[in-house]
Amino acid sequence: MPDRVTLHDPYDKAATPAVTHDTLSVGDWQGPTYYRRPQLKAAPFGNWVVGGYIFCAGLAGASALISTIAGFGRSPQEAGLTRRGRYLALLGPLSAALLIYDLHTPKRFYNMLRIAKRTSPMSIGTWILMSFSSFACLSAAAQFLSDHVPGLRWMRRAARVTDVPAAVAGAGLSTYTASLLSATSTPLWAAAPRSLAVRFGASSVAAGAASLSMGEPSGATRSKLDAVTVAALAAELAATLASHESYRRKGVAEALDGGWGQVEKLGVTALGTVLPLGLQIASSVVARRKPGILSDVASVAVLAGSLLLRVSILAAGDSSAERPGISFRFSQPDNLP
Amino acid sequence: MDMHPRIHDEPRSEFDRVIPNESELTAGVRIEPGKSYGFFTDTTVCIGCKACEVACKEWNNLPADNLGLTGQSYDNTGSLSANTWRHVAFVEKAGPDGVRGNTQPSFQSGWLMMSDVCKHCHNAPCLEACPTGALFKTEFGTVVVQQDICNGCGYCVPACPFGVVDINTLDGKAHKCTLCYDRLKGGLEPACAKSCPTDSIQFGELNDLHARADRRVEQLHGLGVDSAYLYGVPGGPGATGGLGHLNAFFLLTERPEVYNLPVAPTNPSSRIVPSLLSGLAAVAGLALLAVGLLANRE
Repeated sequence: MPDRVTLHDPYDKAATPAVTHDTLSVGDWQGPTYYRRPQLKAAPFGNWVVGGYIFCAGLAGASALISTIAGFGRSPQEAGLTRRGRYLALLGPLSAALLIYDLHTPKRFYNMLRIAKRTSPMSIGTWILMSFSSFACLSAAAQFLSDHVPGLRWMRRAARVTDVPAAVAGAGLSTYTASLLSATSTPLWAAAPRSLAVRFGASSVAAGAASLSMGEPSGATRSKLDAVTVAALAAELAATLASHESYRRKGVAEALDGGWGQVEKLGVTALGTVLPLGLQIASSVVARRKPGILSDVASVAVLAGSLLLRVSILAAGDSSAERPGISFRFSQPDNLP
Repeated sequence: MDMHPRIHDEPRSEFDRVIPNESELTAGVRIEPGKSYGFFTDTTVCIGCKACEVACKEWNNLPADNLGLTGQSYDNTGSLSANTWRHVAFVEKAGPDGVRGNTQPSFQSGWLMMSDVCKHCHNAPCLEACPTGALFKTEFGTVVVQQDICNGCGYCVPACPFGVVDINTLDGKAHKCTLCYDRLKGGLEPACAKSCPTDSIQFGELNDLHARADRRVEQLHGLGVDSAYLYGVPGGPGATGGLGHLNAFFLLTERPEVYNLPVAPTNPSSRIVPSLLSGLAAVAGLALLAVGLLANRE
């Protein structure tokens, strides 16, 4: 038996395209793919629905946290801030509807409550959301009763008690959503677990402080809230730079090449972080005593940036999962923990 | 025991009842709860007949995904999905200049065919991610979605490092290979392995399969196929990053990416703690600042 078999090639060699395992060059990785077919499956989430939930939950959690801290002072000027924070925290329980809407079998949403599991951020998040919602509803109800029912002014003290667990759960609610994304195999979400969590947490605090600032009549309190916003934006900006560095180091930076990657760079970083930072600094110089229109514009930009951050990370992550060059580069041995 | 009605189509059948422990006859292994079972897929003997795909669809009542042609060799299935739990990949190897050579060593060496399947990871990321407990580890060491529990949250889909689990948007549940859980319960070899005409798919107890696979790699190395290696055995490619071993493992002769497999996947749940702690630290830092600014009593 001959060692090598010569096959008849019916086609002109030059005219035959090389339909083989496609070699793909992505960033610093060059290697085979399987017909450029995705190696991973993208998350079947509605990006605006889940992004909207992450935004609302972060805003609600941070509002509860900030209003609880303001409540510690018991100063009459900050009573209004505490009240608005307690009502704004209701956005948390309300946005749970978005999560249920995003299930593919919504009528079975209660199956999330069968178990608690520390290996699943979605299970951890379910219980954070449940406890936050319970305490936030109690605080808001106590606030409402003390304001509107004569003889129930003592309920204010009850609200101060339920505020504390709501604030603790609120801190978790404003940041666990980053773990939810990072604890997947989607390259863009998995590549920077620490800095993504700082981005989400800081963005939540910025959004909470910005929305409380917009409704604040007292100029002094408003300046303090704006200072919290500025600090949170600075932390978010630093974490953004850190996560982009992680993407480069782990070879997934090309995942931000697409349209949603541009949104992440321009919409989130420029509109949602750099612009409001500049406006707030300008506002503190121009209107030292009473922040006005500049602070309002900055707050709106912070809110828009915070929402876009979540939606663009979700969408760019999906496309990173569907690009085999990126997922293969990410699953090389040098990226093992 | 009740028999399937079609048994009466064949009155001279010599079997008047289900054979107990049939897998002892077909796969040489008795299926007992508490032991770990899996697949050893030897790609060097796969002929690309797709009998496994057909047997899987027949047994599990799964509809077709795609009736068209993809233009990607003989792979018209494309990928694993909610309705496709076995997928035969076809690769036509290129020569050094990217053009298929017309001179090749014998034994179809210009072809790579691999029947892909859910890996049934030892530490399965889909199972760890599932917030309802619908995904569970069976008494046979395999990973199965309970259809009466799953609420279609879809979190197992991005959790899987192999892109296996999928949501069926028609019924709103996650689906994947069950390693024929129902057949194992009845003492039957999984449908794909039973139908495989070249024994490329071998079903068995995991320890036996590992020993058999090691012998096969040694044999291939002896025959001059130096590139043969195992994907998904402890310490090897595919079984990295805290996944443990893969209950469905493979003998490959090219880089894993050629078969659309990752070299060094990780277990996503290892990222929960660092992520949660950093996020909480950032929020706590900003909260301290807020305490300094807002919580003064004047």
